[in-house]
Amino acid sequence: MISRLRQQLRQFPDMLLQSNVWRSVFRQGYPDNDENRSLVVMNSVFLHFHPVKVKTNTLRPAYTLGLGIISLFLFLILIFTGGVLTFLYLPTTEQAYIFIQELHTSVPFGALLRNAHRWAAHLMVLSVFLHMMRVFYTGGYKHPREFNWVIGVILLVITFLLSFTGYLLPWDQLSFWAITVGTNIAGYTPFMGAEVRALLLGSTTVGGEALLRFYVLHLVLLPALLIILLGVHFWRIRKDGGLSAPLHAEEVEK
Amino acid sequence: MSTQEFSPQQRDKDHGLVEVMGRSTPMVNKGPEDTLPSWPYLFVWEALLFLGISALLLAMSILIDAPLREAANPNLTENPAKAPWYFLNLQELLLHMNPSLAGVIVPTIVLIFLMSIPYLDRNFSDIGIWFASRKGKLITVWSTIYTVPLLVGLILFDQYIRVRALISEPEIIPGWIIPIGVMGLLSVGLYAVIRPFRPNTREVLVAYFTGFVVTFFILTIASTFFRGLGMNLTLPWDLPPGALSF
Repeated sequence: MISRLRQQLRQFPDMLLQSNVWRSVFRQGYPDNDENRSLVVMNSVFLHFHPVKVKTNTLRPAYTLGLGIISLFLFLILIFTGGVLTFLYLPTTEQAYIFIQELHTSVPFGALLRNAHRWAAHLMVLSVFLHMMRVFYTGGYKHPREFNWVIGVILLVITFLLSFTGYLLPWDQLSFWAITVGTNIAGYTPFMGAEVRALLLGSTTVGGEALLRFYVLHLVLLPALLIILLGVHFWRIRKDGGLSAPLHAEEVEK
Repeated sequence: MSTQEFSPQQRDKDHGLVEVMGRSTPMVNKGPEDTLPSWPYLFVWEALLFLGISALLLAMSILIDAPLREAANPNLTENPAKAPWYFLNLQELLLHMNPSLAGVIVPTIVLIFLMSIPYLDRNFSDIGIWFASRKGKLITVWSTIYTVPLLVGLILFDQYIRVRALISEPEIIPGWIIPIGVMGLLSVGLYAVIRPFRPNTREVLVAYFTGFVVTFFILTIASTFFRGLGMNLTLPWDLPPGALSF
């Protein structure tokens, strides 16, 4: 009796891995042999992001410093924390500040949520910038990756703008005057400064119109743009044969 | 497999050109194939990295509160009023030249320079090598050594001697001609510094990119930690409360 039970228990992992439910999700057995390790990528959405076999150079922490993927992870965390914050916020000059105050006083884990969103945003600006430096200094922009570098520069600018538009939303003195200074800089555009500034603010000064514009830019337009360009960025990495690497493997050691 | 399958099907193509290479992979311009399965090597690293980032962020968010000052008040100007830190480099530039030049023209030129890098450097034989070469490393160091003291010197000069105290009229001289002249001279001077290395295109770009990055960080740090009331220079421990803009 007990030995039969033990035998059944021993067979349980195999039964699970061969069951219809498991196979419908993962389509192959546990990836502990070369065939299944290939299939686990081939058969899943991850084939869009990763090849079945990856260059050892790509796995060297000293080559990538992990900065691209760190930027992506911070962006994912920002989507999640930002999404939850949206439940707890309205972009009006009367209410915005009160909602942020309530995060710190009456919303469970509200301060934690806001802190995480803010620090992730600062870290993302930093990591995207450092990612650009890494790609430059390793020559990763070279043929055939020229245009992906250009997309990367645009992604850096969008990251700046995302952080900048989010900066106004708490509607405190810090954000108000930072955005006043920032949009004044945009107002120095030659020949059409006043128009550029009016387009950003929806008015001549930072007020309710600007708060609404920055809110929509921050929640919809800029993230949509970022996600689309990020898709192209990643697709091109795959198409161009993964991350850049020295032409000859022996040069890695130098 | 029958020999039929190797023989040409069409009469007009009865030959092939084959070259034997001293390599272990048929891929062109690639060294010996040097790969590992993505699962588990790549996926597990990524998962660990995600956990690490999340843990770091959680710890940071528990320990440090995001700033929240009094409610916005258009009638009460903050002093100093600072942009977010990644735009403070522009705000620092603004103190030294015409605002159109500092706030729009210079950053636009920098962005165009950044985007044109891959089209200037067409040689991909040194792809994937940090700083291009030993020479490239030296050029990075020299570019930094050249840029830091000059920038710090210029910031101090414009605070304590002030270009506008020497020449203030007409505006075009302190606002445009002197700043463009100084930036032009700095750029030419950087090339003069690295010229003895006989740099190739990429190494010249390394020098200028390093100049840009060092400038970005120096101006950001100066404006973040050393600008107090009225955006005047001060020491970090003398900053008025709330002068840090992050």
